[in-house]
Amino acid sequence: MNAPATPKDYVQYAAEPQTVAANKLANLEIRFHVVQGFHINSHTPRSKFLIPTTLTLQPATGVKPAMPEFPTGQLYSFAFDPSEKVDVYAGSFTVKLPVVAAAGEHAIDATLRYQACDNASCYPPKTLAVKILFTAR
Amino acid sequence: MRGAFARKDVLEPMRRSLLLLIMIAGIALIAWSGWKNLSQRRGMLRAQQDSRVDLIPDKQGAVADDSTGGQSQLKGKPAPAFTLANLEGKRVSLSDFKGRPLLINYWGTYCAPCKIEMPWLQEFSKKYAADGFQVVGITYDSEVGRDTIARDTKQLGVTYPILLSDPKVEKDYLSNTEVLPMSFYVNKAGKVIEVTAGAGSKDQLESMVKEIIAAGGN
Repeated sequence: MNAPATPKDYVQYAAEPQTVAANKLANLEIRFHVVQGFHINSHTPRSKFLIPTTLTLQPATGVKPAMPEFPTGQLYSFAFDPSEKVDVYAGSFTVKLPVVAAAGEHAIDATLRYQACDNASCYPPKTLAVKILFTAR
Repeated sequence: MRGAFARKDVLEPMRRSLLLLIMIAGIALIAWSGWKNLSQRRGMLRAQQDSRVDLIPDKQGAVADDSTGGQSQLKGKPAPAFTLANLEGKRVSLSDFKGRPLLINYWGTYCAPCKIEMPWLQEFSKKYAADGFQVVGITYDSEVGRDTIARDTKQLGVTYPILLSDPKVEKDYLSNTEVLPMSFYVNKAGKVIEVTAGAGSKDQLESMVKEIIAAGGN
């Protein structure tokens, strides 16, 4: 079939080492990049029928995380129907994760779930494993 | 006094040597802990890098450019036979629509473009009913359950048959693509005359519907 070829994944995790103050509420920044030509539904996609982007965290010793804070998306409409608008992330977006962590080095395992589309098609929901590494001092 | 001076002469170099040894040991300890820390950080960074996914799309942007003209290996061939359950659990076969121009539309509950074009398909299924035109929707993500699919189709005002896909039919029609929507335009003779990947405009869709109606049964 000569149907359009598509990338296997549509989101990239840009891992960066971070340092926060120990035993104080601090924000970790988790940066993602959506592959050019695609967008994913935001955390609040404006329709209950669409799959929102979510981040699920695994428990980590010495770390008390709060709920992840997702950025506001961009309004997007498909060219063939400009009246329908969805809320999406395209390009780079950063999720903030408030944490209180004991002094030391920490790793939080997380999973980003998202559903991608381009300007005419959509692709099944996918997950991306993320390891958030940071130092609290 | 001389004895005391002599003892001092012996002890002073020993004290200096001891001090030097302690300093060397201290520096070595600092260097070792620094190396250990660096090694641990490298290990952690390696683990961090492992969680990255490098993406090199095979043909980035091809979907957009080819959104209404995606060709399929099925084009020009008989539509593959299927028998699938509808939302009421009744088995529906391709042969049930024999002799009618047919639009087989693969869609998903998560697919926004699919949900934009489905009311158009509904409209055309009524508008061209006198020509025998029939739309059949096949749900790609049947695992979400009949209730969710039924809720979505009801909200979209869809009354044409919605069938639940199975792996064999999926392979026959979609091969390995995950693109939605995918539409297969089948003429009265049961031959696939066009395949489109992605949604197009309402006008484009209607012109394709007219084409399969006009195509007759050759």
